[in-house]
Amino acid sequence: MKKILLTAGALLAWTSCAVAGAGGQTVAIPVEDYKAILERLDTLQKRVDQMERAESPSGKATAAAMPSKLAKDVETIYDTLDKVETKTLKDRINLGAELRTRADFFKLKNDANFGGAGSVEHNDNHWTNRFRLNLDSEIRKNLLFTGRITAYKNFANSDNNAFANDSNAAHLPGDSGLKLDRAYVDWTPEGMPIPLALTFGRQPVSEGPPSELKENRLRQSTYPSLLFDGEADGVVATIGLERYLGWKNSGIRFAWHKAYQDTNTSVSYMDNAGGMYDDTNIYAMFFETEIPGVRDSLLVLSALQAADLVGDGTYVGGTGKADIGDMTLYGLHVQANNVVDSGFDLFFSSGLNKTDPSGNTVTDAYGRPTGLMNTGANTDEHSGWAIHTGLRYNIPYKPWNNPKVGFEYNHGSDNWFSFTWGSAELYNKLATRGDAYDFYYIQPFNENLFGRLGYTHIDYNYTNSGMHLGDFGDSIAELDNLYFLLDVRF
Amino acid sequence: MQKRIVTMLTAMSLMLPTAALAASGDALFLQSCGACHKKGGKAAIVNPADKAGSVWEKYFARGRHSVDMGMSDADLQAVVKYLVKHAADSDQPAAAVIPK
Repeated sequence: MKKILLTAGALLAWTSCAVAGAGGQTVAIPVEDYKAILERLDTLQKRVDQMERAESPSGKATAAAMPSKLAKDVETIYDTLDKVETKTLKDRINLGAELRTRADFFKLKNDANFGGAGSVEHNDNHWTNRFRLNLDSEIRKNLLFTGRITAYKNFANSDNNAFANDSNAAHLPGDSGLKLDRAYVDWTPEGMPIPLALTFGRQPVSEGPPSELKENRLRQSTYPSLLFDGEADGVVATIGLERYLGWKNSGIRFAWHKAYQDTNTSVSYMDNAGGMYDDTNIYAMFFETEIPGVRDSLLVLSALQAADLVGDGTYVGGTGKADIGDMTLYGLHVQANNVVDSGFDLFFSSGLNKTDPSGNTVTDAYGRPTGLMNTGANTDEHSGWAIHTGLRYNIPYKPWNNPKVGFEYNHGSDNWFSFTWGSAELYNKLATRGDAYDFYYIQPFNENLFGRLGYTHIDYNYTNSGMHLGDFGDSIAELDNLYFLLDVRF
Repeated sequence: MQKRIVTMLTAMSLMLPTAALAASGDALFLQSCGACHKKGGKAAIVNPADKAGSVWEKYFARGRHSVDMGMSDADLQAVVKYLVKHAADSDQPAAAVIPK
């Protein structure tokens, strides 16, 4: 720029000298030269105008004003960006993965209902690998897809599994087959008078709060795990309440899931009108919110009914299948992370269950009629309760990547039952009718890899933990489990 | 009894890490960044999930933020840590969505 102006100035000076000369004398130059000088001046003036426009207050440099090399570089960058953007837009689904290797060393002190009389103590170890493929996509601004496919296997695939069903298909170790853990779409329709979202598909209803503390990750499920921890297909309608209540992340959910579907496809493609069993439908309502004034907290109030539960006699070593009645559950969950910046995460959950037996029964291993929490011909209603509480401390020690240490305790009464068959543990800890103590230490190695060392002790005061069939009995069973795991996520 | 309670409270207060005194990354992000990056603000709304974690780190390491944020290095690091923790490629919460 400066160079151009200097050149222009020099030419002007020379021109004026040529015309006026020093001391009023006139210098004659050829007309061609004079015209050439004027043309040159005109060209330079245009160049200066162009550059001044480029440095206009808008500050936007134009490609024309750029040196040719810079302009070429910018073009190359745009071309690269176009390719990257096109590639990104073509990648409809984002992929992530998790791999966990876990070893459990357990000691089980049996009673008559665990392995039969005479079997007093059992020591063993159990190794598993769990691979998860996580998928997500923002199909449109208001249409989000999330999925997870899991292969959860025992080492050597040589262990039997009890209580395998659809709600723990991807949470019970087995062979190397892939299972659909979750696949759902969040749809937030536009133009609705109220903030409404519909979530349909195989729902995110396993490993819910407070499991994420122990799992060293963020919240992984809609419902608190004490009441519902498993895989389930269904539809959830959520109404956002934040704009009405002013409470952050507040909303009410109306959920419907199917826990059993009697489709007699040998007769017709549709549900057979004369089918043997009613479908099991789960209707639930959840209110949740961040507790006003408590940052990073969660309060959930739950009510859930499982209508027409189907009892399967094979679960109790017997035979038969029947609609055994209804179960109603109520729950409260309170959680606060990093309470007053102390590094402590705290939670408390409680649950209440109530049965309404139909009187239908299956047959247990001893040939006795067995109904909803009843053995024999009686049709008594029963109630149970449970609490689950604990804390996690985030140790502020950077050289060790801020390890975490946690403790959980849960207690279930004699008739406690909830839908927790999809537990991330090998044992259904939250179904315990008795006391469970759980200690763990989490050692992060980097952002993607952590290890966990844990010890769990369970005193089973009553039999039939996690089972809705048959009456309970007293139990002296105890479980001690020491485990470690390595978990990678990327 | 009163003495016991005082002793207990003192012990509990000692358990609170000194880190609690420092401003957290999320609060700084909301206060400092949110002053401009907001609806109708001087700059466009910014979400940590707009970029991947390493992209955020490089963004600030290269000094690409065109406006001086007037933050100390420690505060800036806290904000970057928060952005990385909630970046596009970070662990994300999973639950049925709650519309606003």
